Amino acid sequence: MQAVTTVPVHGGEEHHSHDHAVDHGHEHHQSFITKYIFSTDHKMIARQFLFSALLFLLIGGAFAMFIRWQLAFPGQPIPVIGHLLPDTWVTDGAIHAGFFTQLLTMHGTIMIFFAIIPFQVGLFGNLCIPLMIGTDDMAFPRLNMISFWLTPPAGIIVMMGFMVDGGTAAAGWTSYPPLSAIAGSGQTLWLIAIFMIGFSSIAGGVNYIATILNKRAPGMKMFELPMTIWAIFITAVIIVLGTPVLAAALSMLFMDQALHSSFFLPDNLVTVKKFAGGGQPILWQHLFWFYSHPAVYIMIVPTMGVVSDVLATFSRKPIYGYKAMVFAIMAIAFLGFIVWGHHMFQSGMNPLLGTTFMLSTIVIAVPSSIKVFNWLGTIWKGNIRFTTAMLNALGFIGTFVIGGLSGIFMAAAPVDIYIHDTYFIVAHIHYVLFGGSLFGIFAGIYYWYPKMFGKMLSESLGRKHFFWTFVLFNMTFFPMHVLGIGGHIRRVYDPYVYDFLKPFQDLNVFISICAFGLGLAQLLLVINIFWSMKYGKKAPRNPWKANSLEWAAPSPPPHGNFDRPIRVYRGPYEYSLPDMEEDYLPQWIERTADVKQAEQSGQHSAVSAEFSSGGFAPKQENKH
Amino acid sequence: MFFDWMKWFPENVSTFGVGVDALFEVIYLLCIGIFFLVFGLGIYFIIKYRFSPTRKAYHYHGNNLIEFTWTLLPTLLFAGLGVYSDGMWEDAKYKNVFPKGDLEVEVLGQTYLWNYRYAGADGQFGKTDRSLMSAANPFGIDPNDPFGKDDITTVNQMHAPVNKNIRIHLSSVDVLHSYFLPNMRLKQDAVPGSWVDIWYNATKTGKYELACAELCGSGHYAMRGEVFIDSQTDFDKWMDQQMMAKMPKSTQVANAPAPVTPTVDTTATTVPQDSVAQNGGSAR
Repeated sequence: MQAVTTVPVHGGEEHHSHDHAVDHGHEHHQSFITKYIFSTDHKMIARQFLFSALLFLLIGGAFAMFIRWQLAFPGQPIPVIGHLLPDTWVTDGAIHAGFFTQLLTMHGTIMIFFAIIPFQVGLFGNLCIPLMIGTDDMAFPRLNMISFWLTPPAGIIVMMGFMVDGGTAAAGWTSYPPLSAIAGSGQTLWLIAIFMIGFSSIAGGVNYIATILNKRAPGMKMFELPMTIWAIFITAVIIVLGTPVLAAALSMLFMDQALHSSFFLPDNLVTVKKFAGGGQPILWQHLFWFYSHPAVYIMIVPTMGVVSDVLATFSRKPIYGYKAMVFAIMAIAFLGFIVWGHHMFQSGMNPLLGTTFMLSTIVIAVPSSIKVFNWLGTIWKGNIRFTTAMLNALGFIGTFVIGGLSGIFMAAAPVDIYIHDTYFIVAHIHYVLFGGSLFGIFAGIYYWYPKMFGKMLSESLGRKHFFWTFVLFNMTFFPMHVLGIGGHIRRVYDPYVYDFLKPFQDLNVFISICAFGLGLAQLLLVINIFWSMKYGKKAPRNPWKANSLEWAAPSPPPHGNFDRPIRVYRGPYEYSLPDMEEDYLPQWIERTADVKQAEQSGQHSAVSAEFSSGGFAPKQENKH
Repeated sequence: MFFDWMKWFPENVSTFGVGVDALFEVIYLLCIGIFFLVFGLGIYFIIKYRFSPTRKAYHYHGNNLIEFTWTLLPTLLFAGLGVYSDGMWEDAKYKNVFPKGDLEVEVLGQTYLWNYRYAGADGQFGKTDRSLMSAANPFGIDPNDPFGKDDITTVNQMHAPVNKNIRIHLSSVDVLHSYFLPNMRLKQDAVPGSWVDIWYNATKTGKYELACAELCGSGHYAMRGEVFIDSQTDFDKWMDQQMMAKMPKSTQVANAPAPVTPTVDTTATTVPQDSVAQNGGSAR
């Protein structure tokens, strides 16, 4: 167990003696294709997820820009590019109503299934799990490769909708039948693509669970896992339990839509006669939200872990209430499966269920508030370093709190009667998914980029990116609460058809201008990522002086990750121990009682020798 | 500007809406409180405990009593909120709890318009048959049923008396729609194949806008209706007009005190869908 192969991949690494484990024998002769494209190395797969999610983030963001243009200046030609777009999308440069519904559908679909989930699950799962549990790779590297390589084809398939008659899916990212079931081939492509991306999630999920349970470094107990790993572990459980339900629902809708069965279609639809009928449209909503509410947690729980780790590292403090945090995530995951009905208060389901789901939904606020209080407890009496990663993590907490509070309004079913399907919901979802997830993702990218690429990201560019994103994000999405209170419905091409919404045009213009700025600000991140890859400062092994195992590996880690046997002696949050000079004590450093005593009496110890040598020299003793 | 959110609401004109607005305000004040507590603490910690090379952070793993406290407090708070909300929810949506209708109206969403049916002079809805449903006869009214002959149907325009309980039976003929009356704080999805009952009691006369709140296609944004809350006399007058228009010509002359010209919007049972979508589209 734990035969550590050390294969120098980058020239600068020191050369260690090879431990020729049989299953790694071929890796010396990697071709370009096996190394960069069909790679089974978790770090390469993490990079692939990073780049594909980043690309989809920009595409989904571009769709949002079109949507914002239309809401602020309805019927006016889009500047510069408006006249270049095809006639099926625009007339004289102004967006069609049909194209608008395609845009809002694709914005939601791309952002949720192709940007946020791949960032959360694909990027952090792949990057962090083997490194943070101290092993060489995933339990099933090939399954891991498949989980990535389902993503680009799925993305291409869903985008191909723009090239078929009738355009892409246009029933919203939720694809409620009958509208989705009576739609054209764009919807078929959507169903196939989401099915594939769901399969990718499941493949990732089982792999993560197997890896975390079986491949932890010797001595590492479950309650010595960093919060990131706990969060990803629980997320993987949610994925494995929830996604098959989505797959079933998608299959049923595919049959309705392409083969004219009637799972979700009642008798005698007036405008559509090709179905036998006898189905129930609300069934789709139950199945869809049974997956998609837990999916909301798939989209935020991993970053909750990331943010916890970033906060601890840069506050130089242990996580406040580590076990409470783990149990809170478990509670969120469990409750996440029994609250789906709160998306359906106004759907026409039995109102008795409204009562049930209101109560369970309100209960889910409790573990969320436990997490927020524990995060506050973590920075309390810390010694806070404001790196870009830390700024993003703090930004995450701020926006997550606002998003959580606005959730209480819609959890209270009577208030939801009014604000359901208004911009209040849009504000809420963006506060948790953009403000929450994306700031957490940024924090994670800034935190682990040195480990991923062996280069530091530019801190000054990073700060600018954080500042503009944070300010413009709040200016874009906070006023949407006001729109929602004013009754501004969602997914409307031209809100000013309604007299009661006419006064809100000025606010919509303001929001749109901020949104354009917010979109532009994201280019700073892209520039930073690519610029630093070439020109960034070389990253040391442990640039943040953090405790978890990934910092024991070289930056970037070679194939097989660690250049020394790893053994775990303690949890990952032993920061600022009072009896030590250094303010951190990594998980992999042995510190016996004798050493401790010696240190207390002021003598030079083995431990402090290791610290002073800077790079944590490999331990000599072999534990095998 | 952003802290006084209540003023952004459209005027509330329903009995039920008073409670919704009050509950919103309770939650809003609660949220403001939590917001300042959390942000106040957070910003205070960020400033107070910012990096200093001479200080060392406090090595502390947490305290179970504190964890327990800040688990219990939100639980009690939110449970109280849930119980308080539930009573209102039952009043709004439980069929057996909310009041019997002084006026009952059937509403059918249809891709991009709203159909209404009143019981007419006999006060009874005619039989309907799902197999008769079509674009021309969205309710599927049975032409052979005498109760159905005087049923009044309108499109996109609803009249209702003020201070009366209006009970709506809601459904849809094609895709999902959602019946949203912002001023009445009323919203309910219209689901094809099943009927849902909702109610409101409007306290002020006037013309109010009705919106479709569930994406129903590219013309979704233009699925706008109007609801007229009339005084009882105005409503009766309007109802008489509708009944007159419905009667055969001969009886109309014999019974009517004065000839009545039917208004366009009320007698139309069909509106070409395209024209509706285009009208909405060309509004801008």
